[in-house]
Amino acid sequence: MNGVLLFRASTANVMFVRTKLVSLALVGALLTLVTLVTWLQHSLDRQLDQRAMRIEELAQLPRGEYLKPALLGYHHLGADILWMRMLQVFGKKHNSADEYAWIYHALDVVTTLDPQYAYPYYVGGVVLTNLADRVDLSNRLLEKGHRENPNEWNLPFLLGYNHYFLLGDAAKGAEYIGRATRATGAPTFLSGLATRMYAEAGNPDVALEFLEALWKDNPDLAVRENLAIRVKEVMVERDIRNLEVGIDRYRQKHNRLPTRLLDLASEGILPQIPEEPFGGVYEINSDTGEVSSSTHPTRLKVFRLDKDIQG
Amino acid sequence: MKVLSIALNTFRENLRDKLLYNLLIFALLMIGSSLLLMRLTLGEFHRLILDIGLGSINFFGVLIAIFVGIGLVSKEIEKKTIYTIISKPVARYQFLLGKYLGLSLTLLINTTIMAVGLLAVLYFQDVPIQIVLFEALGTIFLELMVVTAVALLFSTFTSATLSAIFTLAIFVIGHLTADLKMFGQKMEGVGRGILDGIYYFLPNLERFNLKGHVTHRLDVAGNDLVLIVAYGAVYITLLLLLASLIFQRRDFR
Repeated sequence: MNGVLLFRASTANVMFVRTKLVSLALVGALLTLVTLVTWLQHSLDRQLDQRAMRIEELAQLPRGEYLKPALLGYHHLGADILWMRMLQVFGKKHNSADEYAWIYHALDVVTTLDPQYAYPYYVGGVVLTNLADRVDLSNRLLEKGHRENPNEWNLPFLLGYNHYFLLGDAAKGAEYIGRATRATGAPTFLSGLATRMYAEAGNPDVALEFLEALWKDNPDLAVRENLAIRVKEVMVERDIRNLEVGIDRYRQKHNRLPTRLLDLASEGILPQIPEEPFGGVYEINSDTGEVSSSTHPTRLKVFRLDKDIQG
Repeated sequence: MKVLSIALNTFRENLRDKLLYNLLIFALLMIGSSLLLMRLTLGEFHRLILDIGLGSINFFGVLIAIFVGIGLVSKEIEKKTIYTIISKPVARYQFLLGKYLGLSLTLLINTTIMAVGLLAVLYFQDVPIQIVLFEALGTIFLELMVVTAVALLFSTFTSATLSAIFTLAIFVIGHLTADLKMFGQKMEGVGRGILDGIYYFLPNLERFNLKGHVTHRLDVAGNDLVLIVAYGAVYITLLLLLASLIFQRRDFR
């Protein structure tokens, strides 16, 4: 009787141990499989992703005009996702020339999907100009952004920067900076920059008109005071230019430089010698024929990095 | 009264559908995931929350409208439960209208839950909430109601699978009809007439898409909004009338 009971107990024990073993084996198998899957996926990533760099995918993006309808009204989200993927390859220290062309293409697609997305234009403008040396692509992107978002001041500002500093076109640079000042939220220093550019581009009259428009827009007294000084500075620049033209004509006529500026008026080349707006006088350097103002001896110009380095 | 009780019954039936909860949970997860994705982007962080949030509400709403909508009538016919209803003094159009209103109620509650999720995320991220957001949510709901009406229309004369395919096709075409109009304008004579006809007959679902306005904080003019709502309402009425006419002649075997 006792033996039977003992036998039953031990069978139950064996059964218990067996089910425990089976479940342990199952857990073990599961863990092994999970490890195996992770390892296989990892080695696949390592082998295949080396051949297909992610930045190359940007080159294969379809044009925005075709991609947009395919997104069925989710094009804003599409622009977000594309922008986010682009940022992951932007982060490299150096990109090749091809890669920058692809980045431009991808930015073009993002901004076609959502033309009002102002930030990619700005980042693209900075990166393409300063890292890629592709002012042409930068300008194309910024022009598109400025057309779609006339109220963003930093897009025409960058365009002005590109034209003035890199393309050496002060007149166009001044025009863009002028447009930037009219956008909402534009910083006040921009107007000064625009007038300097206009003055340097040989358009002091345009600079004066521009200042007058700014004066009317700005009721702030301190700003008006600054503007008044700037107006006088531009007038000096205009007068000096006129005087130098007169000196040139005098030289053609007499084959020598005039000794005094008053000679220009007495010869009838200029109707009169203009008054210096700050209360000083205009003086002529009788050796070189250059004219300067006694109160503002330096000419109105934008400080330019590259010219300074070259001397 | 009869319409209302059918509507409430449909609503209760919808609540038992597991598909509904799956889609709802996915939508809420998507809205929440924008918080993580926000860390990967640069520039306008808020716009990602709005784009993903409104996109998810729209997309999952359409999925619910299609996959629950197609079963509204065809399931009743398959299970033969329709006999118990049409043998009662209920007009067939009342049955359809009840079914439609029931699913619309389900969709309204779903959209509200998803919108609350989005608003909570926006609130905790200190994103300013503007009226245009609610206008966009309203037009998304309007689009869902149009899609539901399309699903109901197909469900009155074909099987569930076919109506799902047809409704999905109408949804895709509905977002592309602007191109149809453009092609039509480049044609002449009969071709132009045909394309114009197709354009005006198909729903233009892009009109209900105000998601971009929310992202860029652009206001929608009041009379534009009135026109959009009127267009949606009239189109839904047209679809329901068409569905009732077809359903009236339908023979159940």
